[in-house]
Amino acid sequence: MKNGPLLFTGLFLALLISFGGLVLGSHGQLGRMAPYFDDGDGTAFPQRVSGLAARGQLVYADLGCASCHTQQVRRPDFGSDKARGWGERQSVARDYIHQARPQIGAARIGPDLTNLGGRQKSEEALFALLHEGSARHPGYKFLFETRDVAGEASPRAVKVAGAAAGRETVPTERARALVAYLLSLNTAYDYPEAKPFVPVAKPAEAKK
Amino acid sequence: MSNAQTNAAPAEVTAIDTQARGPLLLLLGSGLVWLAVSGVLALITAIQLHSPQFLADCFLFTHGRAQALRETAFVYGWLANAGLGLALWVLGRLGGEPLRGLNWVVVGTLAWNLGVTCGLIGIAVGDTTTFALLQMPRYVQPFLVFSYATLSIAGVLAWSGRRADAMYASQWYAVAAIFLFPWLLMAAQAVLLWWPVRGVVQPIAAGWYAQSVWSLWLAPLALAILYYVLPKVTGRTLPTYDWAPLGFWTLIFVGTWTGGRHLIGGPVPAWIPTIAVVAHSLVLFHYLVVALNCRGLLAASGTGVGFMRFGLVAYVLFGALEFLASFRGIAAHAQFTFIEPALQQLGLYGALSMIFFGGIYYAVPRLTNRAWASGSLIGGHRALVMTGIVISILALIVAGKAQGGALLDPKVSFADLFDRVRGPLLAHTAAQAVLLAANLLLLVNFLRSACCFGGSTEAAPALFRTSATEEAHAS
Repeated sequence: MKNGPLLFTGLFLALLISFGGLVLGSHGQLGRMAPYFDDGDGTAFPQRVSGLAARGQLVYADLGCASCHTQQVRRPDFGSDKARGWGERQSVARDYIHQARPQIGAARIGPDLTNLGGRQKSEEALFALLHEGSARHPGYKFLFETRDVAGEASPRAVKVAGAAAGRETVPTERARALVAYLLSLNTAYDYPEAKPFVPVAKPAEAKK
Repeated sequence: MSNAQTNAAPAEVTAIDTQARGPLLLLLGSGLVWLAVSGVLALITAIQLHSPQFLADCFLFTHGRAQALRETAFVYGWLANAGLGLALWVLGRLGGEPLRGLNWVVVGTLAWNLGVTCGLIGIAVGDTTTFALLQMPRYVQPFLVFSYATLSIAGVLAWSGRRADAMYASQWYAVAAIFLFPWLLMAAQAVLLWWPVRGVVQPIAAGWYAQSVWSLWLAPLALAILYYVLPKVTGRTLPTYDWAPLGFWTLIFVGTWTGGRHLIGGPVPAWIPTIAVVAHSLVLFHYLVVALNCRGLLAASGTGVGFMRFGLVAYVLFGALEFLASFRGIAAHAQFTFIEPALQQLGLYGALSMIFFGGIYYAVPRLTNRAWASGSLIGGHRALVMTGIVISILALIVAGKAQGGALLDPKVSFADLFDRVRGPLLAHTAAQAVLLAANLLLLVNFLRSACCFGGSTEAAPALFRTSATEEAHAS
């Protein structure tokens, strides 16, 4: 190879073609995807989450929760996601259109959280897990503050062994946002494109 | 340096090396410091995998943040500094003229390392972007592009001002890495950080970027060094060299399409993982050509050859295993498990880092014009780093296999899963400790050699086997 300009052109083209094909191509296909309007319910899905939950997603992202948890359910015949109760259907692109920064994750050191809000209803249990942790989950005590009880004790106070009388440990605003976000995770609505593909039975099999 | 010292190795060390000494040693030294930093972070993340409460109270080191810090320090600290230092050295030597713009290299190195430091602080306080290999906060990113551009001026000048028109394989790879990375980085920043694309197009774009970092930047940097050093240590031209251009263009054109493998079964259009499977089978040709070109390394000997041989085998093995992992049947078992970090460890540590180590052991005596300060430290580093890499990869594979089997069986709870992977993860932690110790040995040896605390100039000529006139023929 002697031709320098040709080398540069080739290099630039390689970058441009792959960027155009993969990034701009998928952007062209999915970038304008609209919510699905259900005539029966009179509602568009997916629905936007509350402001507190939206802030919670930022906490989820900046703590790096996605390094252990995924938020993507695979189709029923690929892995055991459905059998584990992580979701009745596979996740589709439309599920993520309102998310500023989707956290689909790449490791399952802990369970998938796509539909955590559908199976975990208890705010208290999540606060306890985040504060104390467990043998398999870290406890993030920096998300809580210990203070004097002023008047009535906070209903969100977590139980701490050996806590001094007149003191309580309560979740900070970040912890409340994170838990609101976790409880908002639910993709129960069935989009048309989320229905698994069922192969058409051959005539001979159909007769049986 | 005195005349006596300069004359000690008249055969090979020329003004090209002596003039570039300071800036290139600064780059290589920075890389080694980052390697030690990333080693400490790797140890922290490894411990957290089996003991989740370790440093959990410290908001700077949640597992997610520590993982992002480790990855960033390793790739943008160690691999970038060392790879660029070696690539600039190769371009200068093959250009036949002393490197120009060396002041810019110093400015660029300092700016780059300042940028990476700020990026790590940003990640630690929670400003991470969350995209793999692009974790540093948005506010640091333009500064990184500027620093990199400053750093690469010397490379572009060395290439454009080369004496011979003909270019060798190491030059193609070095030029590709130096030229493409800023464009790649800017494109990724544009669609992910400044004007973010919507929904799952983000993971697709992030996957494209992460794969391109491998195919267009890091792997070419390593191959530039491999293709340069190999003929020097074997004393022969490369076999099957006519195929090298095809191998090069296969990596550059096809390699970037393989990133969709990680999205198999995910909420993305099916054509993305499908193209990745096809691209993986095509890019095997590149790995085959590299194996054929560099097979002479298996029988060669020399200070850095053992590292490069290990790196070459790991590089080809990485290509083959990535291809296998792209099949849906295998992905069903391996996806989301420790098999993925095992492959990353094989590629980034086993292949690239080992080639860089070999390059450093080859280049530093020529830059300093003196032998390495301690031969026993080299031997210790080689033994420990190879042991650490092999154990960590095997441990992660065993853990990943157990994890994959457990995840597929819905009756197995996460408590059982945790018990099954605990043993291999403990072995992984031990391996990370060994790797940290190994790389500290290299850092000490480097500092002693570069700062003239040890080594003898009399021993230096014995290290240099080829003369300057062989430069063009052997490359």
